[in-house]
Amino acid sequence: MRSFVNLARSEVRLFFRERQAVFWTFLYPMLMIWLFGVIFGKQKLGGVSYAGMYVPSWIGVSVLTIALYTIGTTLTAYRERGILKRYQATPVRPWTVLGAHVVYGVLVLVLTAAVMIAEGRLLFGLTMPKSVGGVLFATLLSVFALFPFGLLLASLAKNVRSAAALSALVLNIMLLFSGATFPLAIFPAFLRSLAHWLPLYYVIDLLRTAWNQKGFAGSWSDVWVLLAIGVVSIALASRTFRWQDA
Amino acid sequence: MTAAIVVKDLRKRYKDREAVRGVSFEVAQGEIFGIVGPNGAGKTTTLEMMEGLRRRDGGSVQVLGMDPAREPYRVRERIGVQFQMTAIQEKMRVDEALALFASFYRRRGDVAKLIAMLGLQPYLGQSFKNLSGGWQQRVSLALAAVHDPEIIFLDEPSTGLDPAARRELWEMIRGLREQGKTIVLTTHYMEEAEQLCDRVAMFREGEVALLDQPKRLVARMAGWDYIDFVSDDASLADIERLPCVQRAVETDGCIRVHGDDVQQVALAVLVLADSRGWRIRNLRFAAGTLDDLFVLLAGGEASGEARREGSAAKGEGSVAMGEGSGVV
Repeated sequence: MRSFVNLARSEVRLFFRERQAVFWTFLYPMLMIWLFGVIFGKQKLGGVSYAGMYVPSWIGVSVLTIALYTIGTTLTAYRERGILKRYQATPVRPWTVLGAHVVYGVLVLVLTAAVMIAEGRLLFGLTMPKSVGGVLFATLLSVFALFPFGLLLASLAKNVRSAAALSALVLNIMLLFSGATFPLAIFPAFLRSLAHWLPLYYVIDLLRTAWNQKGFAGSWSDVWVLLAIGVVSIALASRTFRWQDA
Repeated sequence: MTAAIVVKDLRKRYKDREAVRGVSFEVAQGEIFGIVGPNGAGKTTTLEMMEGLRRRDGGSVQVLGMDPAREPYRVRERIGVQFQMTAIQEKMRVDEALALFASFYRRRGDVAKLIAMLGLQPYLGQSFKNLSGGWQQRVSLALAAVHDPEIIFLDEPSTGLDPAARRELWEMIRGLREQGKTIVLTTHYMEEAEQLCDRVAMFREGEVALLDQPKRLVARMAGWDYIDFVSDDASLADIERLPCVQRAVETDGCIRVHGDDVQQVALAVLVLADSRGWRIRNLRFAAGTLDDLFVLLAGGEASGEARREGSAAKGEGSVAMGEGSGVV
């Protein structure tokens, strides 16, 4: 337990020493919410205000970026530099190291979400969710699905550079085609069906539902899909994840 | 003396080759045990199997009476490990790293004493990447010793250090031994093995070629005494014809003459030079060192690199081995 707390604390501390990481994690989503606010800010999208659509969806995007970069790419770098192997030579259990990274990722997520919610309220009149519990549940489920997914991608990458490249590719595809940025309604049918192959689509759909209505009516399929993504990713990642380069 | 480590017939096979082929040795408690050998001789693989970081394909390992493959966590609680490449996060500070690693162990060491011994006090607030290689190495030694382990494994601890830093490191390793710790280290530097180790195992192609105290290993090189000198006009053929000379070789203008009695060899060479009018400079007597033994072992079969370094090594090697100078 002591090593778990210390590992998580150490990761958080190191995170705030990386100015670039801090910028991309906090300022980038704020900038995007503002930018899309300039474009769509006055419109009602599907009966919901701009902020009610975009703040929850950028919380979902943050879950993905944290999964891909803060967790996945970082652990690939740690593997490449022999840091994981160094841990392996101590009595620390592998699950302690991974668990500490998850806790650290969730902490970063909470901070990002807080910043975005504050921005939504100040600039775009965001109304608070009808059921805070529902939003928390949807967020935790997204974490459960996407963190192992990020870990899985990282474990498929040979080194940090390929992990970063893979993450950028996945992130951009999902940003464009999952409805996080551009409303799916403006896409032709074949692109709209592509969205259903992207995990982020389910995350965003569920978070938007949770934020704007009471209960998950109409979105229960998202819950099952995300559960499945999480379970499959954990199963696969536990096979492919390596603690050291061969 | 009780054994801290017992290794019997240890084997490891990688896809295309056998890296470790039946290695056996014991390390006594409180001993500094050295593993030397050329790259690819199986040193690191053997070390990692003792640490429980690599699965073995055959044989047995007992570390403090436990099998590291079966009880890795209990073993790791009582051993300290330093890898070839020091690896902690670049922006982590020295004091943070020490606290973090100390929290991994149930056993608590005297960290203040360790900091004092390694002279780390002024660097505690520095981040790891701002330290020089020598200080990074000290930090990683501190991380290996932070929980007061009974055995410390060091994989090429002095690689990349300048001679002064290397000597300081040796002092620290001796200091750790004085606290009763057992040390197992691998090295490329024969001087390190000679100065530091109580016993040395020389690895070659995944096997232990030789295992003894460094002094005794050097003694096996007796008869490997020689004289060196520089001469532009001396004739190798004439020198080799002298009765007391076993062998003469020339490398880059420097002539090396081997014989059982080097005093006789020197006298005979000087008399011959005088009669022929050769000019001889920089004459010196030298004894075989672990370095010679290393080159001999490596050059004998394994390493083409060592062979190229001294054109003589290969020929000399086969002679010395053939003459039963004790090389296994």
